[in-house]
Amino acid sequence: MRMPLALVPAVAAGLAVVGLAGAALAHGPTPQKIDQSITIQAPPDAVWKVVGDFGGIGRWHPDVAKAEASGGNVEGTTRRVTLKAGGTLVEGLDEWLADGRTYSYRMSDPDLKALPVSSYSATLTVTPDGTGSKVSWIGRFYRGDTGNEPPENLSDEAGRTAMNRYFADGLKGLKAAVEGRTTH
Amino acid sequence: MRHLRLIATLALAAATGTGGASASADPVWVVSQQGAELARIEAGTVAGRIPLGPAPVAAATDRAGRLYLTHPDGRAVTVVEPGKPPRRLPVPGQVFGLAASPDGAHLFVGDWSGDRVLRISAATGAIEGTAAVGHEPAHLVLDRRGRLYVADRESRQVSVIDTGTMTRVAVVPTGEAPFALALAPDEASLYVANVRSGDLTVIDTATLRARATVPAGRMPYGVAVTGDGSRILVTNQHAAAVTVIDAARLEIVATVAVGPYPEGIAVVGPRAYVANWFSDDVSVIDLATWRETARIKVAEGPRTVLAPGEPAR
Repeated sequence: MRMPLALVPAVAAGLAVVGLAGAALAHGPTPQKIDQSITIQAPPDAVWKVVGDFGGIGRWHPDVAKAEASGGNVEGTTRRVTLKAGGTLVEGLDEWLADGRTYSYRMSDPDLKALPVSSYSATLTVTPDGTGSKVSWIGRFYRGDTGNEPPENLSDEAGRTAMNRYFADGLKGLKAAVEGRTTH
Repeated sequence: MRHLRLIATLALAAATGTGGASASADPVWVVSQQGAELARIEAGTVAGRIPLGPAPVAAATDRAGRLYLTHPDGRAVTVVEPGKPPRRLPVPGQVFGLAASPDGAHLFVGDWSGDRVLRISAATGAIEGTAAVGHEPAHLVLDRRGRLYVADRESRQVSVIDTGTMTRVAVVPTGEAPFALALAPDEASLYVANVRSGDLTVIDTATLRARATVPAGRMPYGVAVTGDGSRILVTNQHAAAVTVIDAARLEIVATVAVGPYPEGIAVVGPRAYVANWFSDDVSVIDLATWRETARIKVAEGPRTVLAPGEPAR
């Protein structure tokens, strides 16, 4: 029942774009949730000063070997985050609001070695909590292999485990960095 | 056993009611993926719940008020008919987007990883035809003359299928990662929400060409049109908001804050309903004031909102 390509002139133009879009950015059909938070004994402004710099994640995330940003804390800035365990996360800043002490970003290119997921977006927010602060880090992602029979290392479960560990390690590292303890 | 089955059937009848558009003031169906549940919202509250098989996503309805739902990970479509237990139709593919013919005879399902659309019999599940489309067909919508529009997410285009012959008659380029579709009430325009380029492509359905591509907010994931066709509503998954676009000027005229990671949206009379995927609730938007007036709790992972009598979204 497949239609001969010759009958659909426009399809050639469509195919030309396919290579650029890249199937690797594909979203699978089952999104997964990450929802983590931590309380820190420091005022929100002090926490935001550390965590709010999009390109400065290497200063508080213990799993990060180095990070560099293409620009300042403005929409469109990209950061390249190289992990100690290997792999590089390329992430684009979508929104950065100093007033709300929050920023949102999303994965630009997948690197299954860094995190076994095909795409994600996340938001980090600092809010007052008693005399201290609460940092929430939430996100949505899709497993590494979005087909119907993913291998175990690219399944929903593998993605959840890796993402939850990465977020939890980060929040613990942030707490230690702000409260003045070493993470090493 | 017989008793239990009778009770289950009665419960379903109560939950689905009479089905069709005339059923009540504002019946809206909400599909929760993780929670595997179909919720019926009436008068601002959940009036009925129907448990489903694992991970349902997209939904469509027909004139008789039957509901159809896809299970991408389960290779199946569920048919929910008033007064009957849900029926499972196996479908060979990663079925995601869905549309139903108005008489409920045929279903059109996109095969996400198979780059094709299947026409199946709603009664038997038998495959009646297939049409090749672009990579990763997402949502699809059927117009009144039997044309099917398919958002080919990773091919940056909409495929147009003649459902009588199941052949592709046109391919229309869009923004980056087209995902959700909505037809204007007069069907002269098709609105395409492009996830990665953050815009909305307007396709002229007479010429099958893109008339405009305009900004629509961050990660547009759902789109709906008001009953009079004057406003286009786009959920911004990465901004916890709905952008409201003037259909004549094609400009954003309002932004309504909703819950985190909003996805599916439907307009019913004077209100819009938005599935907030992250917070497991539905935002109700008043179309006169463009404000969120209520949040209604539903099962985990709501992604699709469906108004009876409307085609798949």
